[in-house]
Amino acid sequence: MRRARAAALAALLALGCGGTLPFTAAPQWELPPPPPRDAPVVPEGRLHRERLPNGVRVLVLEDPRLPAFALGVVTTRGAGVEALGEAGVASYIAELMERGAGARKALELAAVVDALGASLTVTSDWDAMYAQVAGLSEDRDALFDVLADVVLRPRFDADEAARVQSELLAALRQAKDDPATLLGWHFTRTLYTGHRYGLPEAGTPETLGKLGAADARAFHKRVFTPGSAIVFASGDVDAPALLARIRSTYGAWQGPPPPGTGVPPPEPPARRVVVVDRPDLGQTQIGMGHGGIARTDPRRLPVQLLNSALGGGGFSSRLMARIRAEEGLTYGVSSQFVQRHQPGPFGVFTFTRNEKVGEVVKAILDELERIRTEPPGPEELARVQSQRAGQFALSLETSGEVAAALVDLEVYGFAPDSLDTYRGRMRAVTPEQTAAVARELIHPTPASIVVVGPAASLVPQLEPFGAVEVVKP
Amino acid sequence: MRWGRAAPALFAALLVASAVSAAPFQDPARDARVTTLENGLTVLTLEDHATPVVSFQIWARVGSGDEARFTGLAHLFEHMMFRGSKHLGKEEHSRLIEERGGQINAYTTRDETVYFTDVTPEHLPLVVALEAERLANLDVSEESLADEREVVIEERRFRTENDPQGRLFEALLALTWQAHPYRIPTVGWMSDLEKMSVAECQAFFDEYYAANNLVVSVAGDFDTEELLALVRRELGGLRRAEHIERNPTEEPPQLGERRAVVHFEVAGPIVAMAWHAPATGHADAEALDVASEILSSGRTSRLYRALVYDEPIALGAAGGYWELARTGLFFAWAQVRPDASAATAEARLLREIERLRSEPPSAAELSKAKRALEVGLIAGQGSSHALAARIAEDWIAFGRIRPLDERLAAIRAVTAADVQRVANAWIVPDGRSVVQLLPPPAEQAAR
Repeated sequence: MRRARAAALAALLALGCGGTLPFTAAPQWELPPPPPRDAPVVPEGRLHRERLPNGVRVLVLEDPRLPAFALGVVTTRGAGVEALGEAGVASYIAELMERGAGARKALELAAVVDALGASLTVTSDWDAMYAQVAGLSEDRDALFDVLADVVLRPRFDADEAARVQSELLAALRQAKDDPATLLGWHFTRTLYTGHRYGLPEAGTPETLGKLGAADARAFHKRVFTPGSAIVFASGDVDAPALLARIRSTYGAWQGPPPPGTGVPPPEPPARRVVVVDRPDLGQTQIGMGHGGIARTDPRRLPVQLLNSALGGGGFSSRLMARIRAEEGLTYGVSSQFVQRHQPGPFGVFTFTRNEKVGEVVKAILDELERIRTEPPGPEELARVQSQRAGQFALSLETSGEVAAALVDLEVYGFAPDSLDTYRGRMRAVTPEQTAAVARELIHPTPASIVVVGPAASLVPQLEPFGAVEVVKP
Repeated sequence: MRWGRAAPALFAALLVASAVSAAPFQDPARDARVTTLENGLTVLTLEDHATPVVSFQIWARVGSGDEARFTGLAHLFEHMMFRGSKHLGKEEHSRLIEERGGQINAYTTRDETVYFTDVTPEHLPLVVALEAERLANLDVSEESLADEREVVIEERRFRTENDPQGRLFEALLALTWQAHPYRIPTVGWMSDLEKMSVAECQAFFDEYYAANNLVVSVAGDFDTEELLALVRRELGGLRRAEHIERNPTEEPPQLGERRAVVHFEVAGPIVAMAWHAPATGHADAEALDVASEILSSGRTSRLYRALVYDEPIALGAAGGYWELARTGLFFAWAQVRPDASAATAEARLLREIERLRSEPPSAAELSKAKRALEVGLIAGQGSSHALAARIAEDWIAFGRIRPLDERLAAIRAVTAADVQRVANAWIVPDGRSVVQLLPPPAEQAAR
């Protein structure tokens, strides 16, 4: 049937429907892929870089295609530098910085931003804080001033501090309603008890309960410093004028050098098996893993490729092929080396119906063992290298994405040309290198197993893997 | 009142700013082309060489709104499209795209099923050939259906049964639409998923995956003539259907408020409500969009002030206009704080809805709502994927690609009186459906 149709198509072409592509007998999927066309990441002349005398780094990426722009200040430190007792202060100040700056109290600041249809966001993660405005390019002067106030002159008013604290405490209670969030908390707690990475990034009721406006001011002073800051812009901007404004606004900024990047976590304990008891759930959330690597680890490229083959590579990764496509046990499964300033966890995450949890845990452990004993050969490695190269191009389509990637290099102190050299470096990784990192960094035997679901059904299934601890949500 | 602290001079400046943005704006989709093949296949093309990326999408005009017997069929079938064909094994299509760095996936709505592949341009011939292969030679076997059924059941558990918001919205839509097929959750009811047969899947494919029920939409870095030749060669032979069956049921008028409670193990209750609203393309659409922005956009919005900020009883609250092909919804909802009551949150939501009906919005409110819609529209045109989706949506809804300026002009034309008028026309007490998601009673008592 298909053949008959192909013949009809060929006839159609012959009748003059036009076309410049040659007709090929072999199906496209049997032809070797065309050679990659590695287009430059940043078009010539669009990127402006500068370092101000006080250490502030500046990146401006012009792109006039749409009459819109984004402007931000990123710090190279985040929740990772918090002391255990102040866990959550980074996300607390992020929320507070949106609530009043310069002469404007919270609602006055919001009124300026909302009236322009613009956005103002301050967020934090483990390694950085991000203050950003975005809107139409004709509003860039007004939004520039808003951002400068938010970064340099946040108010931290006492009434807003109390309000934010109450909101964040309520949000922490409510976040437990989501089984995947619960899993994330218990997974890191199991691996990193006693270290900052073992508590939720947003903090705990105990730590948040003690924070006040003075703590916010102190943390802001520690983290938002010129030596830690990257000012970036992308989109429809007038680069010379913007650079001049950045120099005059951020050039006089003074502050202490940024703090260190936090304390490395201890090696996680040998396997623990933890069941977070939620008798009401019909599907169990599963997380398995152990310690991993820092973002600056020299092995990061072979690790990235290894992880793509294992469970970071979409539908065709080993875990997805086996647990979803072959066995229909889940809707999604992925693996990840969480890379931060300090070594973060390696984890495999999925979910399945309660009665299949033991089977899925066993399948994951098998695949972790298999990637050590049967690491990707030349063919599988070439596939993930080609995959990463294509994903890289797709992930840098808009100027906002390119600017974010350039800022990310600055946060971790990578060479400024890392995006341009990435594909070459990544394609140079050998099967021996990925095999070596598989042996060094994947460890099924001590891997901990954490699940969220009904303990009554899960404990018997998990006993073969170790002594089971049952905890409350 | 909401603007108590802002200086009046500010408003004047903002109104000027809004007028400035009426300057001509180059719609990135202005050069989109429409080609119809002899078999009825529509091909939309938007060539743009700015970055080496191309998005190739196939929009099938079939969604859960077309289901009459087995619910979840359109979506389960979407999964089956990746399970292999005459010449390719299961998931091989995805693997071939992914190992070239492409992004491949699909989604199903109440009106459409969309298959997309985003790649660097040198792989476009493969993308088209793979689509042709599965459209001509799909293999729907008992074995692959058995596996994929389990995957979809896990998806349903993940998105709906284990998720408080998923549970709540499934209940709200089934309450609001009692007759219209939009009441069916797109993922399907569990019992239907368990019983779905190969024969059902095959009949569905034969019915809806005909050339004249498909739209191909391509945006990004490619040569239009080459692409059209490729599509003619690969997809020009697809069969055409003489008749495509649609579910004919319409929603009868609602004659009074409907209420439901869903129990779920949560600390924070959720309240949601919905009203019947017009289908996409209706003359009231922009005014309803403006009303939704006034309720929800930013920290100065009415619902944020009334529920989250001034007297905090919710962690978040929003409203919106959801336009679909055959009808629509206006909705409002609040994630209630664990220490607050769902009943209070519901009363506050209703108070703000009533205010939309009883008085026109202020000039400043109207201006910022319109501005937010404009910024969202303009900023949303950045990627090839978004542009291919926009032109396909326009074509399916309106039979043409609506210029961005036309949409911007319609937004700018909305008056305060329009907002009040559409609120009174659509957001009416007798057409309201309300769902509260609450902890189970025993736990309520324990607290």
